[in-house]
Amino acid sequence: MVGLLKPTSGEIKVGGYNISKDLKKIKEMIGVCPQNAAYYKFLTGRENIELFGNLQNVDKKELKTRTDNLLKAVDFIEASKRKAKGYSGGMLRQINLLMALISDPDIIFLDEPTVGMDARVRRKTWEYIASLKEQNKTVILTTHYIEEAETLSDHVAIIDYGELIAYGTPKELMEKHNAEDLEKVFLKITGRRIAEGT
Amino acid sequence: MNLQRTMALLKIELKKVIREPVILFISILFPVALTLLLGLALSGLASSSVPGYSVFDTMVPGLFGYACIWITMTVATTFVDDRELGLLKRINTTRTTSGEFMVSHIISNTLISLLQVAIVAVLSFVLGFRPEGGISGFLLAFVFIGFLSICSVGFGLITATIAKNSGVASGVAMIFILPQMLFGSAGMGIPVMESTQLIAMFLPSYYATNSLKMIFSGTPLTEITIWTNLAILAILSIVIVIVGIQLFKRFGKA
Repeated sequence: MVGLLKPTSGEIKVGGYNISKDLKKIKEMIGVCPQNAAYYKFLTGRENIELFGNLQNVDKKELKTRTDNLLKAVDFIEASKRKAKGYSGGMLRQINLLMALISDPDIIFLDEPTVGMDARVRRKTWEYIASLKEQNKTVILTTHYIEEAETLSDHVAIIDYGELIAYGTPKELMEKHNAEDLEKVFLKITGRRIAEGT
Repeated sequence: MNLQRTMALLKIELKKVIREPVILFISILFPVALTLLLGLALSGLASSSVPGYSVFDTMVPGLFGYACIWITMTVATTFVDDRELGLLKRINTTRTTSGEFMVSHIISNTLISLLQVAIVAVLSFVLGFRPEGGISGFLLAFVFIGFLSICSVGFGLITATIAKNSGVASGVAMIFILPQMLFGSAGMGIPVMESTQLIAMFLPSYYATNSLKMIFSGTPLTEITIWTNLAILAILSIVIVIVGIQLFKRFGKA
């Protein structure tokens, strides 16, 4: 959906644009936060964020303001002055996320954005992701934390061994499967715990 | 081609040289150390092949070539590292085009090569090297170095396509570096036999070093061999960099 792989069959539309024909348009409206933090170690946190703003053609003045605002929102101003190679796993996750958000994208792909974050930072990140929804952004978030999906999502898709086995609002899924929470929904559908993996 | 994106990537590559100790060593300190070592050891030794010149004087064109040839390793390890870290994929999700990405790398590495050669030139001068050819000769020498750098970037991309990690990339880069050092950079004082001469003719560094030797020894800049060498080197640089880009785009990005 972010254009890294070519579709083998079917059709994918992102923001109304066909991925096979209008990838350039799609790239203008998306922000991607990969599962493994991808950043330049020798750059500071701020420089990493600004680089990706430049790669998305954010206006120079606007870029500074946006970077400041993002760093303030996650309490990262001081740490952002240091080189990324000295960051903890949780801090790298935060920078990874901010690099995806700097272009103020309409559609944001977050691949397990809170893995490795401590509980406090994770809560703060959840609050930030929730605020993106309030700004009418579309957030596509993959996660193994069912609590995360339940807290943040309007719609949940459960994929098991590459197959979509359930889709709906958390409430719909819980009602349909007569379960108290999404974890129990998952257990019922797949017959196993997420962590077991088999 | 978008200037903002290209410049942003270009700046990153230049910052990498300054901030990454390994790259700083390979790019800047190694040619400096080599020049100092050879200059101090050999500048007093009279050359047997060129009367009135020291062994060091005859080596300087080869040293210029050396500085450029090593760019192959820097480019290869940089691309492989960026790929391993997921940065290439991430950049690929932005509006940046492959062309902008490659151009920024070619420009940054050519600038680094020119800086290396400038440092080697200044050091050589300090150690007693007095080239003929004047300012125009020096400028022409830098044009040769520019094309040789582009060849090295191309070889670096080919290396990055083959290599799975940066350790392997350093080894594979030697496939391109060593022949150019041994056979192509004849100015380094390595004797050129007929068989090695034949191999050398397929190597970009041969055309650069050969011409640099002519320029610095006072051969008139109108000499046809110099311009023929420049044309061959220019064509080689274009072919090698296009092959490198295509191979990397097709097989090396994943």
